[in-house]
Amino acid sequence: MSYFRSSQNEAHPNKTNTVMTGIILMLILLVSIQIWFLYSALNNALDDNFGIALATFGGSLALALVSFWLLRYLPDPRPAKSKPRK
Amino acid sequence: MAEKDKDPTWKSDFPIDQEEATHVSRREFAKFLGLFSGALALGNGAIVLKSLAFPDKELEGEHFICEENEVPVGGMKQFEIHGTKDIPYILIHLEEGEWRAFEQKCTHLACAVRYRHDLGQIECPCHQGFFDPRTGVVIQGPPPRPLPQLEVAVKEGKVYVKSMSKDKPYNV
Repeated sequence: MSYFRSSQNEAHPNKTNTVMTGIILMLILLVSIQIWFLYSALNNALDDNFGIALATFGGSLALALVSFWLLRYLPDPRPAKSKPRK
Repeated sequence: MAEKDKDPTWKSDFPIDQEEATHVSRREFAKFLGLFSGALALGNGAIVLKSLAFPDKELEGEHFICEENEVPVGGMKQFEIHGTKDIPYILIHLEEGEWRAFEQKCTHLACAVRYRHDLGQIECPCHQGFFDPRTGVVIQGPPPRPLPQLEVAVKEGKVYVKSMSKDKPYNV
């Protein structure tokens, strides 16, 4: 078994950092778009505009699925150090 | 003395440091964002369900409001129609023989609007929104939509309102 990946991860810890920041920024972007959709849906549903409510729901659901999918790529947590018990 | 220095038993039962318990890692923050995203999608779904389950009913039939001579030209009368929910309306006597009726709730933040005959406009005093008194469309200010309108009919000196027929909007 090759130790290339683990050695590379140890040599370049910033890579994990970049992936983490990228995922968080993507999630913030997706959530912002969803807030915009929700605002539009509320505003238009008040005016009996069912089409907008349905379209924004579709969009919001798709964005939620994308954000769940993004969570798969979160870097693994640091292995917990075994602490001496007090 | 030795008894005091010794940690209480619960500390060994729940070996979690306070720092560890209050710390929010970036992983947890990202997961929270994912959860929030799901909640927003659910909220959007709730709006769809609400408009499917409880569609707004149109006003049925004609409703007597007042005698024609009760409201002078340039005057306004506030009335309510009692139904599934009580909605306040205003009746406006624009000119001789020209009447309009609108919902009194401003489409911005539901403040009560009033007709200003000196300006020839409907005014929302909360945030200075102005509507056209003939069509209800927004002239100025923050309201995002026109005021919902009712159709007014005057028969034998009595003023009646009914829901606006789709083929005959007052947009003139």
